[in-house]
Amino acid sequence: MKRWLLGLALAGMLGVLAGALAQTEITFWHAMSGSRQEVVNNLVEAFNTEFPEYEVNAEFTGSYAETLTKAIAAYRAGSPPTIVQVYEVGTQTMLDSDAIVPVYTLNQGEVDFGSFVQPILKYYSYQGELYSMPFNSSTAMLYYNKDVFREAGLDPNRPPRTFDELYEMGLRIVESGAAKGGVSFGWPAWIFEQMFAYHNQFYANNDNGRSGLATEAFINSDFGVQVLGEWQKWTQDGVLVYGGREYSANDPFLAGDFAMLVQSTSSLGGILRKADFEVGTTFLPRLPGYPSGNSVIGGGSLWVMKGASDEQLEAAWAFLQYLGRIDNTIAWHKGTGYFPATNEAVLTLLNEGWFAGEPNALTAFMQILTGVDTPAARGVLLGNFVQIRDIVGAAIEEAVTQNRDPQEALDKAAQEVNRVLSEYSELFGQ
Amino acid sequence: MQFKNKWLPYILLSPSLIIILIFLIYPSIDTFRLAFYRVAPFGDRRIFIGFQNYLRLLQDPDYLNAIVISIAFTAFVVIVGLTLSLAIAVLANQRLPGFAIYRTFFIWPYALSPAIAGIVWAFFFDPNVGPIPRLLANQFGTSLNWRADATLAFFLIATAATWKQLGYNIVFFLASLQSIPKELLEAAAIDGAGPPVRFRRIVFPLISPMTFFLVITNTLFAFFETFGLLHVTTQGGPGRATELLIYKLYRDGFESLRSGYASAQSIMLFILVALITILQFRYAQRRVFYQ
Amino acid sequence: MKARKIITFLLAHLGMLLATLLVLLPILYALLISTQSPSEYYAFPPKLRFGSDWLENYSIAWQQAKLGRLLLNSSFVAIAVALGKIVLSILAAFAFIYFDFRFKVLFFVLILITHMLPLPVRIVPTFELIDQFRWVNSFNALTIPFFASATGVLLFHQLFRTIPRDLADAAVIDGASPLQFLWSILIPLSFTNMAALFLIEFIYMWNQYLWPLIVANFERTRQIQIGLKLLIATDATIDWHIVMAGVMVALLPPLLLLIALQAQFIRGVAMQQEK
Repeated sequence: MKRWLLGLALAGMLGVLAGALAQTEITFWHAMSGSRQEVVNNLVEAFNTEFPEYEVNAEFTGSYAETLTKAIAAYRAGSPPTIVQVYEVGTQTMLDSDAIVPVYTLNQGEVDFGSFVQPILKYYSYQGELYSMPFNSSTAMLYYNKDVFREAGLDPNRPPRTFDELYEMGLRIVESGAAKGGVSFGWPAWIFEQMFAYHNQFYANNDNGRSGLATEAFINSDFGVQVLGEWQKWTQDGVLVYGGREYSANDPFLAGDFAMLVQSTSSLGGILRKADFEVGTTFLPRLPGYPSGNSVIGGGSLWVMKGASDEQLEAAWAFLQYLGRIDNTIAWHKGTGYFPATNEAVLTLLNEGWFAGEPNALTAFMQILTGVDTPAARGVLLGNFVQIRDIVGAAIEEAVTQNRDPQEALDKAAQEVNRVLSEYSELFGQ
Repeated sequence: MQFKNKWLPYILLSPSLIIILIFLIYPSIDTFRLAFYRVAPFGDRRIFIGFQNYLRLLQDPDYLNAIVISIAFTAFVVIVGLTLSLAIAVLANQRLPGFAIYRTFFIWPYALSPAIAGIVWAFFFDPNVGPIPRLLANQFGTSLNWRADATLAFFLIATAATWKQLGYNIVFFLASLQSIPKELLEAAAIDGAGPPVRFRRIVFPLISPMTFFLVITNTLFAFFETFGLLHVTTQGGPGRATELLIYKLYRDGFESLRSGYASAQSIMLFILVALITILQFRYAQRRVFYQ
Repeated sequence: MKARKIITFLLAHLGMLLATLLVLLPILYALLISTQSPSEYYAFPPKLRFGSDWLENYSIAWQQAKLGRLLLNSSFVAIAVALGKIVLSILAAFAFIYFDFRFKVLFFVLILITHMLPLPVRIVPTFELIDQFRWVNSFNALTIPFFASATGVLLFHQLFRTIPRDLADAAVIDGASPLQFLWSILIPLSFTNMAALFLIEFIYMWNQYLWPLIVANFERTRQIQIGLKLLIATDATIDWHIVMAGVMVALLPPLLLLIALQAQFIRGVAMQQEK
């Protein structure tokens, strides 16, 4: 009897060993540094423990641009990462690369993509199919310093809703001396894109590049010129303080240099942690007279690359499903401030009262869920988008910091953008 | 007297030559070839486009801007840097008791990397805690933010680069000053020439080969070794106010993934190096470069 | 008269002191920040003294950027390249001075020409080549392409030329082979130059940025200059005290080496003077 038990135990152990030997390893390259990297590592470790048959090796490979460059190099050398995180501006590049395994082809019915938060799902879908797994999704919203609002005699619970209100409140703040400036932006070119989608305006032709390669940008449309003109006026009157690209405006906002900040929702955690004033958040300001659209998803998604074995694809799909699971997407949201990806996760968060304690985390949700789903609001797909965002960013800077005429700056930028687009379609046309 | 051996010299040279051929000569030639193509990000599609990349380059306002910024930056590093270093070197060259100690300190900044120099000066210019903006804010009530202010950002990178080179320049100037024969200066002093005259008539001409050498090395530094400095500070911004040629090359080649366009920029840089080299062979005796 | 002399003397020293401060102050100030707490360096006017938090700052920086690993990676690369360059340049310079062979001038020009080919003028194809070799994210990519050195060859070329020819004649008469001559005569005479070259190349490699950023931004191979960027948060307030702690750690190895080999370096510079 005892021997029989022993035999069984041994057999069991061998089974475990065999399992360990047959473990499938996959690599996952990402651009999440600092505290976000920790959250990624925790998720990966938990996955590896829960699924001993798989082993995910996560590696931080520098900025988004650096990560993409490396993934391409690795693909060309024949050893691509199984999963790579790519920023939203790299989406068209990945779609055209012929180097990816679309996520929808991996799904054998395990996941109902319909359960994803719609704006997120739509951003990473192309012609109705999901190509990459939403991971770190964010959008832009308006942060404001309630203490400064009070000091300026403004109602701290009545933030601006329109461009005009923002301008007037900004003026009031500057004139009262409550802060040196009124408002600043993170990622100005992205905020500019947001404005188009938010007011249901196309940024480029062919339905923002979603029904075919975009060949013409509409950045110098009347709408674009009006938005940039407003921004320029704000700057001239000391309301808008240009704060640089990406996240560099966060510091002076935290230091109280200006009262409002239009920034990615992914900064929420950092801002709440470091602010020594009461932080309020609200929807992006609107320009009256234009229809409603929606704010656009930014951030990054996870792509599965060709070159993986069937077992590795299976492991990759298991990992992607794991990340989309309610508990994990909630952990991801709480740890980083990025959106939880599925509707169930949002419901769970609502039921556990998370948003009651974190009302600012709800703002962006309400914004994207109350927005209108239109073709113009689903986000732009452009070839060479990195470069295009760069061109637009420079045009904004010229108008705002060097006082160049907005029409002129945007005309010049549009010309450059169109040239870049035509270069891209020459390569990928037909 | 030479050793006689048919194969040994080739064997001795082969490691160096093989590496030079594979990693220097071949990629350089390949750069010329690649500059004739438009290449897709993944490298799997390419179109031959002749000289279009070059033509585009010369019409690209951002590239012309990068040229202007690079020249201004280099001029700052060379003129301010060399003037300051020469002044310090002349001062340190006095034969006074206790001066040897100072000389040993001046070499320290040679150990600095461009990235570290950038970080240190980014702190000095930091809008919130940096001593320089705060001092100015205290005195004049101005508020300075290099992330938004193009001029300030330029001064930030130029100051950092100049400072990083100070140690190197001082050491070389000192070596040159110390090789000036004492008798010459003494004779001039007896003839009644004061220190300024002696400096202009004797010292300056005698150290001019060294000055020329330092102009060259500092120019090469400003064009080729400043990437790290930019990457940790301004990243070329705000706008394109600090986008030096090397940064533009990185952006186009490794962020926008336009290999052909970036290669054309490499060729332009090569022409620059070739010009500098010719200048050097024309006007100076051959010297070992200390990178 | 004597008083005037003393005043001049003091003024000269004062001037020197100011000049030294100008050169060293930024780095000394960075050192102070690396020991202070945020509230200490947020104060204005700045407190020019050591703070209380140095242990904490350094240990946070150490963990956050994995400085131990970075130091190891950078040391390996800098030492390997410095040694590789020394060996290869000595061999090449030896061949050029002590042998007659075909294509000598061509080969010499080939080596000199590398001065005209700094990485940026060939960076895209070099990266593609490294990629084809499957060397991305390997120490090979960080070391092997750098082994050839025009600087080194010229340096030893100049030195060997100044060594009396009789030495080689005597060696041949004694029946010594060329390699024996190299090993027992030339190498011992080259120590100063080797030290100078080691210093220059070590610092050069240690401070590289662009190439390691492109080919080695992975945990296994990441170099310390790139690692410093990890301390500079992009989406939140910069913790300058932590950043400066990292800066000090990254600066220490080349600085110590510089101090140790200063004499050789200066002699190397002086030798340049003699043309």
